[in-house]
Amino acid sequence: MIAVLTGALDDISKAMRLHRVWVALAHEDIGDQHRRTTLGPIWLLINYLAFAGTFVVIFGENRSVPHFAAYVATGLLVWLYFMEVITLSVTLFAREESFIKGTTLPLTIYVMRLTMQSVIRAGYALVGCLAILLLVRTPLTVDWLWSGLALIMIMIVTPAVILVFAVAGAFFPDLSFIVQNLMRIGTFITPVFWIGPGQGIRGEFYRWNPFTYFLEIVRLPVIDAEFPATAFGICTIMIVLLWVLAVLLLGRCRKKIVFVL
Amino acid sequence: MVSIHAENLGLSYKVRQKMTLGLRDRRVLAGGRIEGMGRDRHVTALDRVSFSLEAGDRLGLVGANGAGKTTLLKVLYGIYVPTKGRVAIEGRVDALFNIGLGFRPEATGRRNIELRGLINGWSPDEIKVRMDEIIVFSELGDFIDLPFKSYSQGMAARLAFSIATSFEPEILLMDEWIGAGDPNFQDKARQRMNEMAEKAGIIVLASHNHGLLKKTCNKILELHESRLRTFCSAEEWFGKQASSDESRL
Repeated sequence: MIAVLTGALDDISKAMRLHRVWVALAHEDIGDQHRRTTLGPIWLLINYLAFAGTFVVIFGENRSVPHFAAYVATGLLVWLYFMEVITLSVTLFAREESFIKGTTLPLTIYVMRLTMQSVIRAGYALVGCLAILLLVRTPLTVDWLWSGLALIMIMIVTPAVILVFAVAGAFFPDLSFIVQNLMRIGTFITPVFWIGPGQGIRGEFYRWNPFTYFLEIVRLPVIDAEFPATAFGICTIMIVLLWVLAVLLLGRCRKKIVFVL
Repeated sequence: MVSIHAENLGLSYKVRQKMTLGLRDRRVLAGGRIEGMGRDRHVTALDRVSFSLEAGDRLGLVGANGAGKTTLLKVLYGIYVPTKGRVAIEGRVDALFNIGLGFRPEATGRRNIELRGLINGWSPDEIKVRMDEIIVFSELGDFIDLPFKSYSQGMAARLAFSIATSFEPEILLMDEWIGAGDPNFQDKARQRMNEMAEKAGIIVLASHNHGLLKKTCNKILELHESRLRTFCSAEEWFGKQASSDESRL
């Protein structure tokens, strides 16, 4: 067990020392994706606004819910981020196969590269989200700081989520299709555009869906100007558990990954 | 003191039955022998390989495809951890396995030098200091500010070799890299490798090009089905090859 932990922590600390590598590669990735376009990464902002706008117009019609646009904007910000992170994580090591088989870079480098990429993309969506909040005149309160803390917590859990799904995806390639389908379904069973908790099956989805709580810690301080203590508590526990699982998986599997790709 | 000591080096790994709902992928890493049955099925990629190299040695790795040359290079570089025996390496190691590895097609040659430098663990200052020397040695001229995707394979090989050798690694591992360069650059590269070896470095070069190995190496290690067949001086090995060729005629 000690060897497992030492190996994992060694991998993580090497990746942190090589932070310039994953920061540079993530920026190149974003640049490459938009290099031939006129608007460049602004497309990330436009995509978010188009998506959020459609949700607000279609699902907000005849709704008496106050701040529905803000509700959807914050919910989509968090949900789209998790959806992208998890979907890309499952195939992460397969995509990095030539690097993994050709260099001695620690595996955490690839995890941090994806984390950085996702955070940059989410940065553009965040600008769109703030624009919607301003547009619909959501009252700016000091409680917004809790949302800032929530976003930091989401960034902290991201490498752990990526590691868990990347290791699982390396050993079980079918997972990528399972995850894609689950994430599509997740858009509807997560309270992104419907308001919970609700009754019956919808209530169960609300309560047992781990994403609910990550959405709430970002959303409730903005919408209701309140500190959602329970959601913050649940998220903290999930972050700790995910990191423990990620470190154990990294320690146990890091030397085997190269043989299963 | 730069050195490589490998003792009874072995690498075997289980043929993993990936959990999948579709057809099973029965591919294994290139090379090695498949042994055992059922759940004990495993690939022996290296088996009891022992050798020692000292400063100034230029080792040629020979053997048929799948004999274990690339696997041995990757064990020496640290990508694969040996499952048996031990390998002790003294010296800073760099490797050139895949010419295109780590190069970004859309980025310029200059930006690619920066990225490869970062991947090799160089600091931005170290990259800055070596940038001009790399550009001059690679003979890319004004192409250095064009996207990498516009380079020919030879130009890419020149850039890769220039970067890998610019930091003066004490041990350089290479896998069939040289075929892509033009004859002039091959001579220049060979000269740099000789200089490296003279500066008390070690070069390990896996190749099927016996002419190149004869000109470059002073020792030969021959692998056959993941086992060591011969480890001797290049003179002795090529002498044996010549006499076996004669007897065949």
